Amino acid sequence: MTAQPSDSTEFPPEITLKPLALIGLSGLDTINNAIHKTIWDAFSNNRRLDRASVQFKLLHNTFEFPVIKPKRNSYEWYIPKGILKKNWIPKRVSLIPAVVVIFYDMEWNDPQWNEKIIECASRVQSIRAAVEGHATRVAVVVVQSGLSPPPSEYMLGAERAQVLCSACEIQSKSLFVLPHSDHLMGYIVRLENAFYDIAQNYYHHETKNIKQHRDHLNKTTHQYLFVRHQFKLGFLNELKQDLSTAHKHYMHAYNNLLETRQVDTNIHEIRTVAGYINYKLCKLLFALNLARDAIAQLKSHIERYKNRIGPTELLFEHYAWIARQYSAFGELFDEAIGLGLPAIQSQHPGFYYQHAAQFTVKRRQAMRSVCCEALQYPPPPDPMEGIVEFYGQRPWRPGRLSADPHDPQKEQAAVLALQYNERVFNHSGMIISFLSSAITQFKTFHSPRMRKQLVVEMANEYYYCADYGKALTLLTHMLWDYRREKWWFLASHVLNRALQCAYLSAKIQDYIQLSIEALSRHIQVPNNDKDRIFRNVMSVLNLNIPAPEPDLPASSQSRALELWQMAIEKEPMTVIIDMMNISSFLEVKTKFTQVKYRMDDTIEVELFVRLTYNTTLQAKAVTLTIATNTETIEIPIVDNETSIVKLEGDKVKRFSCQFKSNPHDIGSNLSIKNVSFILDNERRRKVIMNFKIEENKSIEPTIHPELLHFILSPKSDYEYDCIVPMNTTSITSRECRLSIEIENAVPALQGEWFPTTFKVINNEDSLVYDMTIALSLLSSPDNPNPETVTELSFKHGEPQPQPLKFQVGNVDKASTYSNTFFLKTNRTATATVQLRVTYNIDFQETPKLQCVKDFTTKITVIKPFEVSTKFVELSFMPITKCFVDDPFIVMPEIKILSPWDLLILDTELETVDCFGYGDHKKPTSCISNLQVAEKNIASDAISVQAKYKPKDPPTRVGLYNIMWRRKSNTCGHCVMSTTALSGIAIEECPISIEVNYPEVVELMTSVPLKCRLTGRTDVPIRLSLTVEGTDTYIFSGYKKFSVTVPPKDKFELCYNILPLVTGNTIPPRLKATVLGDNTRQEVITEIFEKNFPRNIFVMPKYK
Amino acid sequence: MAVCVAVIGKDNSPLYIGGIGNDTSTDNELSRQWLVHTALDALEERLSTTNTSNTNSSANTARTDLRDLYLGLLYSTDTHKIYGYVTNTRIKLVLVTSSTSPSGSNIRDAEVRTALRRLHALYADAICNPFHLPGDQITSQKFDKQVKSLMLNNV
Repeated sequence: MTAQPSDSTEFPPEITLKPLALIGLSGLDTINNAIHKTIWDAFSNNRRLDRASVQFKLLHNTFEFPVIKPKRNSYEWYIPKGILKKNWIPKRVSLIPAVVVIFYDMEWNDPQWNEKIIECASRVQSIRAAVEGHATRVAVVVVQSGLSPPPSEYMLGAERAQVLCSACEIQSKSLFVLPHSDHLMGYIVRLENAFYDIAQNYYHHETKNIKQHRDHLNKTTHQYLFVRHQFKLGFLNELKQDLSTAHKHYMHAYNNLLETRQVDTNIHEIRTVAGYINYKLCKLLFALNLARDAIAQLKSHIERYKNRIGPTELLFEHYAWIARQYSAFGELFDEAIGLGLPAIQSQHPGFYYQHAAQFTVKRRQAMRSVCCEALQYPPPPDPMEGIVEFYGQRPWRPGRLSADPHDPQKEQAAVLALQYNERVFNHSGMIISFLSSAITQFKTFHSPRMRKQLVVEMANEYYYCADYGKALTLLTHMLWDYRREKWWFLASHVLNRALQCAYLSAKIQDYIQLSIEALSRHIQVPNNDKDRIFRNVMSVLNLNIPAPEPDLPASSQSRALELWQMAIEKEPMTVIIDMMNISSFLEVKTKFTQVKYRMDDTIEVELFVRLTYNTTLQAKAVTLTIATNTETIEIPIVDNETSIVKLEGDKVKRFSCQFKSNPHDIGSNLSIKNVSFILDNERRRKVIMNFKIEENKSIEPTIHPELLHFILSPKSDYEYDCIVPMNTTSITSRECRLSIEIENAVPALQGEWFPTTFKVINNEDSLVYDMTIALSLLSSPDNPNPETVTELSFKHGEPQPQPLKFQVGNVDKASTYSNTFFLKTNRTATATVQLRVTYNIDFQETPKLQCVKDFTTKITVIKPFEVSTKFVELSFMPITKCFVDDPFIVMPEIKILSPWDLLILDTELETVDCFGYGDHKKPTSCISNLQVAEKNIASDAISVQAKYKPKDPPTRVGLYNIMWRRKSNTCGHCVMSTTALSGIAIEECPISIEVNYPEVVELMTSVPLKCRLTGRTDVPIRLSLTVEGTDTYIFSGYKKFSVTVPPKDKFELCYNILPLVTGNTIPPRLKATVLGDNTRQEVITEIFEKNFPRNIFVMPKYK
Repeated sequence: MAVCVAVIGKDNSPLYIGGIGNDTSTDNELSRQWLVHTALDALEERLSTTNTSNTNSSANTARTDLRDLYLGLLYSTDTHKIYGYVTNTRIKLVLVTSSTSPSGSNIRDAEVRTALRRLHALYADAICNPFHLPGDQITSQKFDKQVKSLMLNNV
């Protein structure tokens, strides 16, 4: 909570404090007795919010209760002298406890029990005597050591407690035992709650008493008492913490007060009391979480009392009172928010503080109109002296109720005293304080603009109380925002006030800056007198005192002159103004004439200046600051061969300057950083106007040049508006006159070392020297990270680290340099090779200029051939699977894709584990030393057999290596390409069959057909064999019989067959049926099918 | 009806502020500008809340464009009531009525809505002028006249 400024309207502390039930603790010797001290501390210290709403007061023996007033039996003749007595609340909150608790040290088994009980009873009696007349409750706490009594003594305890109660004449529920050993805090909290209950009971009783009075009252004479009694009821209920009942009674009090007759003499009292009751009402409503009702209550309260002005000579009191209502409410609201009440942008405490400030302004106005004659305090006797018994009564006529002033002279003196006090009151301080509270709130509740307005009001307040420095600081900060949002009217208002402050405080820097901004075409100045402001700037430049601003407070003018006399010839001699942040009378645009410059070009910068204020401005020097990444250079602008630049009002002037770039800056950017105008009249003081150009600040075009074409009568500065500033440029190296010729036989083949010959030709006008060539691979979308799969080298077959660097040395004019590099890649994509040629060349103006030229060449890489695989059985019939130990043929087919003729030198197949060569040794290649051309297909054949059946079907048979080279390449380096050949399924068969038969036989000639069955498993296999005869053969041997193929052994069958016809014949075939376990039937049928000849060619018999 | 009407650009710079007052002195103009300027706080708050609530579900983005342009009563002070309206291009229209005059205090919401729609139309007409530069203050006398009559018509 912010501290509120104080004045006579401030609420007394007893009103603003939260009422807590008062409980007196007696018999605690906190100074000498450590245990008592602990108990007291436990009661009184570190009270958290969750503990009972009570307040403890330590009663000493000397404590005196307020004397009770005699009970009034009849109100018939009683006329109240005021509404609320000032001492009633303090009595309730600090003098009359609801409960007095007597602490007494005593053990139940105390040896001197009888003496103890007498002493305790006498203490109770003395307290009773002291509170005589009040209904204060009495309770006794027996403080014990807390050693838990054994069960046998429990009876004794109960009995003695009973005795103690009767001795002290208290009820047994008012007797408490406090063991002080362990868990003291727990006991204390329980005791506290018990006391709180008693206290509530007491306050309830008190309210009953007050309610009884009501019947005796009548409306004509006792209207004040209606208010007073309801207020008391409200307050007692608050003590009892019955907030809604309290609110009800306060509301009655408030309404009763509204009904009282109001005259000039009691207006102050009614207003004051109404304010207090309203405060209580709002506070309770916030506590009851009825914030809307609280706001409505305040609104209706203000509405009701807004027009109850009272005597006009004390009008300021009325406004002071309203301001206080608002500020107090703001505080309550703020407190409630602190306790968790949500507030929104349109309803928060800031508005109430703002109202408080506004009414304080009105209060000041009222003071100015009514207090003009109160030039001094009235002579003694001081009317303000005197003790007032009631809230809001006047000290010079306490307790008087009649409407007419009884002593006009005294009344007049009193009014004068009040007026004088008001005259010397620091209104500005109060307004500033309210405003600062409001500003904080508006900031919290997302109202930056409202906040700004209040800050400006605050600055005005500082201005009125002649604190120009503070006002200036606030105003210059606010100016920034209004300028940014282009609210020029508001900005002008702020700026003019700031300029007044700057003048009055003689702050040269601020004065010059604000004056220059005031000359902007956006700013309106009083009387439209910009010439005066311009003259003032020139005066300060010439070390003369400027003319005062209009409408200055007369009292400050002479002081300002003194300040200027002191300041004018002192620092700051150089006034630097950042023009980009203010709106001013100068506008600047800069532009490089080109986006890019070559190293040997001359860089040109154009500078356009527009002076929007109609005058002639002479700058002693104008400089342009340009930054490179190594240095910052300043270039003076020269206009007609002099550095003095003259600008004319409402005209655009163009300047240009040229310079050469530094060889260090190749590849970097140049940017214009700053344009400075220096005003200097040779009188020691100068003004530097800096236009800082920020790169990252995106220049939002507020004017769209393309739209300006539509304007019927072009503005005079049409061209200026169309200029698009260009503040950065880049420097590239000079154009390099080297060329290159590339010679190679593309496409390159995958895997080969591909030679490329390049020839660098020097077309420069002179010798170039220190030439180096760097070769590197460029990545492209279809070939990222080319260096991982591609090798570069200057030597065939030996990869070298990339990039390849090569020192060439000197190359004469018009001569050439050539070399060959090799490229080997495993990826069939286009490889891009960059050749960066770096060299030095001498020129007249820049000796040893380094030049760089990049050349690129693209090399397409293709596959030399494609390999596909076929699997065939020994009879060259295609197969899709093979059997263990059953040889078959792998036929790799090499399809040539290369446009160049190739020579296949050799091939080989490296089988994987589960395959072996059919002939048990590596066969020689069938296609070695074969010359092939594009689209040829070279077929190889290798006999292979499966050794065993692996767990998973093999993915490949093996790796097929092909040694090859280009036919044209005779130097002997060959390339080895490796391809994986696809796999074939392997099956196991329990037997293997070998059939021997002649492929060609003669007609009518008997030939043997031998068949050997070999068992491959550990168990014998029984087969039933049948011979399927044909018409073309007759045969001898068993036609149908069963055999047992022994495990790991052979069984041989032998037939003789005799062909009967010539030509292709089908010989008799054996068919087998497995006897027993026929799960293998299928595979056995298959292997028989496969191994028995399907045809035999029969020749006619030679005769 | 209205005592002041303002058109504010999307960068919050004032494009037009017109008012009907008994006097045209600086103080009156100043208080009018303060009033409109501070109304921007409420406007921006209103806009930011509608935005955040809508961006929660992407389906509502289309609805953002279709939302009611009329924002209703922004806030009221003891003397004035301030109504807001935001066009699709984030041009803000503000209408201020006086709560002290009988015609201003009893105004119905629908009337204000109609007036602001009308103002929107007038604004659109004014900037359709090819000789008007977007972003510049509106200096058209016709617009000024029409707006003034808009303010008075409903008195």
